[in-house]
Amino acid sequence: MMFIKDLTCISPQKTIQEEFFGTEPIIYTGSQLKAVEPSYAEIPRSQLRRMGKSNRMATGAAMPLLEKWKTDGIIIGTTDGGMEDCHRFLNQIVKFEEGTLTPTNFVQGSPSSPAGGLALMSKNSGYNNTHSNKGLSFENCLMDADLLFIEGRAKRLMVGCVEEISQAQYKIETLAGFIKQEEISTNKLIGCGTAGAVNGEGAAMFVVDFENDGAIAEIVDSEMISCPILNDLTLKVKLLLERNGLGVADIDALMLGYSGDSNSDYWYDDFAKQLFPQTGILSFKNLFGETPSASSFATWFAANLVNGKPVPPMAVQKSVSGELKTVLIYNHYQGNQHGFVLVRGV
Amino acid sequence: MSRVVVTGIGVISAIGNNASENHNSLQKGGTGIGKAQFLNSKYAEELLFGEIKLSNEALLSRLKISVDSKLTRTELLAFVAFEEATKDAGLSKEELQDFETALLSATTVSGMVEMEAIYADANTNTEPSPFVSSYRSGAHTLQLAKAFGLRGYTDTINTACSSSANSIMQGARMLKAGKAKRAIVGGVDSLAKYTVNGFNSLQIFSDEITRPFDANRKGLNLGEGAAYLVLELEEDTVGKTIYGEVRGFGNSNDAYHPSSMSPEAVGVKGAINGALETADLQPFNISYVNAHGTGTENNDYTELHGMNQIFDVVPPFASTKSFTGHTLAAAGAIEAVYSLLNIHHQEMYPTLNWQTQMPEFEQKPLLDFVPNTEIKHVLSNSFGFGGNCSSLILSKV
Repeated sequence: MMFIKDLTCISPQKTIQEEFFGTEPIIYTGSQLKAVEPSYAEIPRSQLRRMGKSNRMATGAAMPLLEKWKTDGIIIGTTDGGMEDCHRFLNQIVKFEEGTLTPTNFVQGSPSSPAGGLALMSKNSGYNNTHSNKGLSFENCLMDADLLFIEGRAKRLMVGCVEEISQAQYKIETLAGFIKQEEISTNKLIGCGTAGAVNGEGAAMFVVDFENDGAIAEIVDSEMISCPILNDLTLKVKLLLERNGLGVADIDALMLGYSGDSNSDYWYDDFAKQLFPQTGILSFKNLFGETPSASSFATWFAANLVNGKPVPPMAVQKSVSGELKTVLIYNHYQGNQHGFVLVRGV
Repeated sequence: MSRVVVTGIGVISAIGNNASENHNSLQKGGTGIGKAQFLNSKYAEELLFGEIKLSNEALLSRLKISVDSKLTRTELLAFVAFEEATKDAGLSKEELQDFETALLSATTVSGMVEMEAIYADANTNTEPSPFVSSYRSGAHTLQLAKAFGLRGYTDTINTACSSSANSIMQGARMLKAGKAKRAIVGGVDSLAKYTVNGFNSLQIFSDEITRPFDANRKGLNLGEGAAYLVLELEEDTVGKTIYGEVRGFGNSNDAYHPSSMSPEAVGVKGAINGALETADLQPFNISYVNAHGTGTENNDYTELHGMNQIFDVVPPFASTKSFTGHTLAAAGAIEAVYSLLNIHHQEMYPTLNWQTQMPEFEQKPLLDFVPNTEIKHVLSNSFGFGGNCSSLILSKV
């Protein structure tokens, strides 16, 4: 499918400073895991002040890559990108009773703003797209990139996701029952037995290439399904493995989207039990939190692990034996949208 | 390589609640732009809109499928057009539920059309409103998947006003690459207080009916609508009506400004040239252009400037936004359906309301309906803020 040449990540962990692997992760208490942001020294201050958080994080994570690598296009996945601006604009409409408003929040509140902003800043007039599909946005980005490679219309692309915690969407998700009510420390999140997840945010960005020329890891393939029954999931994964010439035994570890939500974590238990009873299990949301683009953070994490970075003990849910070369990420969003990403060492 | 063809169309807009009503209005030249009846905004009194002439209750009563959750207006419009398109293509329940059936939709406003509900859920409610999970992009796609039992690939694209051109493009590319057997592609946007105020803040509304490509154009009228196309590979369509082929597609970013287009028309040219290239056609092959033609100062100049640099002789072109208003994320799909009607009926639809020649150019848009003409290849342009420019070429099979 494609090879990861370079990658960055802004997340609730110290992933942007490269201090994350081999050090103690940050343990959070409460349901908002805020991003540890860099100093953004490379962004002019005047520009930085005007940026919403998603634009800022997308720029901070992607621009160093875009400056280093020539890419043929930019593909971004985001659902909550610009959400704070969006609600600011919405609140202005109410407050000023549809009076004369300034367009800044409206323009920045569009999910397409980060991809457009990156094109503008890097003067990239190539392919540009934004997938805003809740829990499958990253899988959509991968399909988009894969197609461009197959068509021969691109050799190298910027692909990634950005999500922000906005207080309005946090409140809405809380009302809908998707946010944990009580304060739980993230090292006790998984298996805590209560409803809801903890919210995360950040940006995971990848330079992907058609060819493996000094790559860090390979994104082998991806699959998805909406509103499945367990048997559908099993069928999809069998298809995914089969078309890549792999069997269950080739998967060294599952990386599962356990969020600590007692209403929906059973999917992961059942899935692992049914098809991968012997396979080691890793988690990532007790480090990075839940976002619609969670699988992009999982992919950043898995790519580093198959490239030899040490596995943080907090991520081990069932011990992994032997070399970690091939990781199958399975993640669902709120029980409805289920996605798979297969990552392999090179 | 096998051709990607369109076997079903569904559309709802200010000029009709289905494809045949839309076709009738395009032939007769009647605009759907006027006073809004259902839009809840103070601008409903002051401005003109391309509103669909049905209440939410009337939209719901048109649906064949029963849905257990409360649908937003965005979702209702999507469901109406989706049902029409899939029925038109004769897709069976088994085909809809096949792993190999993809759904690629687009929206910008999503469930934010329910502004009172979102405001209350975000600020004051202690109990969730019925729309609590409908606000974010992707919600309507998930509702469609849930209601119709879709089990394949789904995507929701938001590149502002070029969104559904991109969902059509993405679906066609998936079929060509063998990533799906059939795809239902399109987009939806409903008239919403949120976008009305957004575009008003950008000061690009006209206080009269829009006049695309007119020297005295004053801006756009916001519209609403939904359209879906069923894409299949030609070899799978024996005995089916084929409206046309999705032959070319181009996507380029203008990389100039967050909400306006470059005077050099970088993105416009990139998108059109990309479409010509993938279609393996020369500019002179294009029979007709369904222009983006929003009726704003910036768009119409840039679009025509870009076309002048590509075409030695600019083909007949028109903006059907003078019929429908600007339907944002639905525009690319609605105009793709109109382009297929151009091809299927071998006729050209005009731009309404045009009066004065733009001094910068020699060309003016097509002003009259032209029946019985030869249409082989239609170029359909869609440009959005964020610099997102996309073009499609739909061709006679």
